[in-house]
Amino acid sequence: MQIFKKSVLLLVAVGSLLGACKKDEENVAPTDDNEAITTATLRLTSTTNPADTVSATIENLNTQANFSRATLNLKANTTYSAVIQLWDKTQTPALDATAEIREKANEHLFVYTPASGLNLRVNLTDQDTNPAPGPYPIGLSATMTTGAASSGDLNVVLRHQPGAKNGTAQPGTSDLDTRFPVVIK
Amino acid sequence: MTDSLGRYHLTELCAGVYTVEYRYIGYNSTVLRVRIPNEAVRSVILTTNDINLATVEVTEHRSEAQQLLQTQTELSGAALDQTRGQSLGESLKAVTGMYSVQTGPSISKPVIHGLYSNRILILNNGVRQEDQQWGNEHAPEIDQFVASRLTVIKGAASIRYGSDAIGGVILVEPRAMPTRPGIGGEVNLVGATNGRMGVASGILEGAFSKKLTGLSWRVQGTLKRSGYVKTPHYYLENTSYRERNFSADLHYDHRNWGAEVFFSRFDTRIGLFTGAQVGSLSDLYAAISRPEPLSQPGFSYALNRPYQQVSHDLLKGRAYLRSDRWGTLTLTVARQQNNREEYDYVAFSGSLNPELYLKLVTQTADLVWEHRTRTNRKGGAFSGSMGFNGLTQGNVRRYLFLIPNYRNYAGGLFAIERYTHNRWTVEGGIRYDYRWLRAYFLNEATNKTYFTTHHWRNANGSLGASYELRDNLTLTANLSTAWRASNVADLYSNGLHQSAVAYERGNPALRPEQAYNGNLALAYTGKRFSAELGIYNNLINNYIYLKPDSVPVIRQRGAFPSYTYNQVRATFRGIDATLTYNLTERLSLTSKTSLLYAYDHTNGGFLVYIPPNRTDNSLRYTWNRLGGLSNVYASVSGLYVARQKRAPAVTRREENGVVIFTGDFAPPPPAYLLLGAEAGFSCRVAGQPLSVIVTGSNLANVAYRDYLNRFRYYADDLGRNISLKLKMPLNRAE
Repeated sequence: MQIFKKSVLLLVAVGSLLGACKKDEENVAPTDDNEAITTATLRLTSTTNPADTVSATIENLNTQANFSRATLNLKANTTYSAVIQLWDKTQTPALDATAEIREKANEHLFVYTPASGLNLRVNLTDQDTNPAPGPYPIGLSATMTTGAASSGDLNVVLRHQPGAKNGTAQPGTSDLDTRFPVVIK
Repeated sequence: MTDSLGRYHLTELCAGVYTVEYRYIGYNSTVLRVRIPNEAVRSVILTTNDINLATVEVTEHRSEAQQLLQTQTELSGAALDQTRGQSLGESLKAVTGMYSVQTGPSISKPVIHGLYSNRILILNNGVRQEDQQWGNEHAPEIDQFVASRLTVIKGAASIRYGSDAIGGVILVEPRAMPTRPGIGGEVNLVGATNGRMGVASGILEGAFSKKLTGLSWRVQGTLKRSGYVKTPHYYLENTSYRERNFSADLHYDHRNWGAEVFFSRFDTRIGLFTGAQVGSLSDLYAAISRPEPLSQPGFSYALNRPYQQVSHDLLKGRAYLRSDRWGTLTLTVARQQNNREEYDYVAFSGSLNPELYLKLVTQTADLVWEHRTRTNRKGGAFSGSMGFNGLTQGNVRRYLFLIPNYRNYAGGLFAIERYTHNRWTVEGGIRYDYRWLRAYFLNEATNKTYFTTHHWRNANGSLGASYELRDNLTLTANLSTAWRASNVADLYSNGLHQSAVAYERGNPALRPEQAYNGNLALAYTGKRFSAELGIYNNLINNYIYLKPDSVPVIRQRGAFPSYTYNQVRATFRGIDATLTYNLTERLSLTSKTSLLYAYDHTNGGFLVYIPPNRTDNSLRYTWNRLGGLSNVYASVSGLYVARQKRAPAVTRREENGVVIFTGDFAPPPPAYLLLGAEAGFSCRVAGQPLSVIVTGSNLANVAYRDYLNRFRYYADDLGRNISLKLKMPLNRAE
């Protein structure tokens, strides 16, 4: 039994040396998303009257989205130049995701789709630097032209298309998919 | 040679059928066919010139697992060699009744009788493998080359091995340590055309002599690399993977005691098919509706996001003491550390961090006493064991939340006793378990940590009997209960499971699963025909599964189907049949068929992800010698997998502009038939034996999808693959 005792003691010693529990689990790390988009802002400026600006913002996109300031109130039969801005406010200071998207413009595409009853036309005005058959639009800036008075949602989707961008929405995956309510008067 | 009492022992026999001839001068010799493992005690009476009757007792020494009456199947020797190069989960599919849940070509989780994940216990080198096995895309982190024998115990087998094993147990056992002084080893090389995979695995081992007799060592390592795999018509982008594994073992065996230290590291990086990466439900439906993936690049070994980086370290110490009077006492302590990092696509941030990081550290201690086999006056023999299993583990997460940090304690006591008399063996076992779980959370508003605690206790039992109807026909019946405490993922999941396109919510009110399992097995070994037929019924109360909710969750990337963990009463029943018929001395036909029926009694419907029925039939021709080659064989096979007709109906509707679905994302794929062929031989190269196997799978290059492959929504399964396996044992005696 002497040898057995010795070997048990040895094993227990080895086991406790390597298995000393430090209770790491009691220090809980906060939830951290590499790529949260919390905030999306659409800013429209009338091309005929630069003093006429309209802005709408959706907050808390990564949890329960807040649409209380998300409605765009536009004038009928007007052309606006539009820019979109995305923020990650889970970080301090808030991270400007738009700037990072501009840097990787060759693999991103914003797709704006007005609801069927909404008299709104969207044309993307910026272009990436993809080689032929590119370049393709990006959609960080656009012109939006309203028609007769109407209302409905403007669906905004950001497509991530690494190595596959071809000017259409099909390739890749969605990084953002949300809706701005639009009222044209 | 028998001793003076006519007794003798045959130890360390490989499984199979042996012809034993009993001879004694002046007596008529008797020839018996003995099937191992299945015989316990065999009394042979030799007839003489009417003088006397001598009794010969054949007692073979079998591993403890093999003595259990549970239905079990083993993969070793040549059968295991044929699967070299595959992952553990894939290679186990060679066993009737086994299937696998796959996430592409490199992630394969074993399924026993329709049950998987935490419902299967894997004993890696005698230690309960603890990784993040709750995840469908988390395969067991074990190097298949470590094993020289894989044993699958089918059905609830938790009495001996611990709670949770309501589906079964997989034993991964390395080969026996060398005893002859000198240095030896083995080299395995595998190459495959599909994925242009290459594997190199080597073993170097030795034993000492003289003063160090009893001391032996082994080092083992495996390198594996594969690029994009190819379906019949296109490559799957980013399905590359690589593995780097290493293990070392040091043994000391004295006459009646011994000790061992074992270390192993498994390290893998697995690329996930980019075509299966979807941002949201609308991406998923777009991907499903495409007949082929949009992006179809050429071959590459590139491995980019999304991928998993996983390592698993195991350090084990074991000591045993054996005495003729008391039996064997074995103590095993082990520490495991599983590090899992999952990297998703990053769209714009260029972040190098993973999205998910989980570190699980587990300590286990097992003390088992196997008492000496006692024989009573009637010639019956008692054998059995009792013991304690203890476990503690701590889990730490970072980045996104999917499961919380937790601490887990588990303790179990068991006893199993077996009685063998003539043609009968009966076995009974009891077990008591206690489990404690504390999960830690952070209130991000107040930055304070809080926790919730669960504890469970449960007693289970098993009863089995085996009867030899004839020398070559054995009937075994087994009834057992088992339980599984709801794990931390069942209870507290809360997060977007990007790779599964699902928002999963745990349910802290879940109760433990309780299984009632019955097995009936008939084994026949004849001269030309042998068969194993198994029937099982597993009733599980509080069976936990992910139930789709009717309202999807909306996040920045769009809509996600949401699921909550739910409980039902479920039945899994089925038949496993393995038949072998020797048409001629050289030509044999083997048929393996698994039928499974699963039902959800609570909702009166079918369960999702249940393996379809399948049958694998092969014809094999062998030559003893062919030119300078030995062990020559060639075989052809056909694997037929039926369509899973018993699956929840797939429905989808639109509500407020979002798609709501029930059942599944897509109906089960059609049935398929895969043709395979194999040839192998042994020869001598530079004085060392070399064995060569060439295997072709999906030879007709059929485009098919498998119901249990999670990538079936997006792409076809693997096309034709030809692999070459070389094995060379090395021996140099001192």
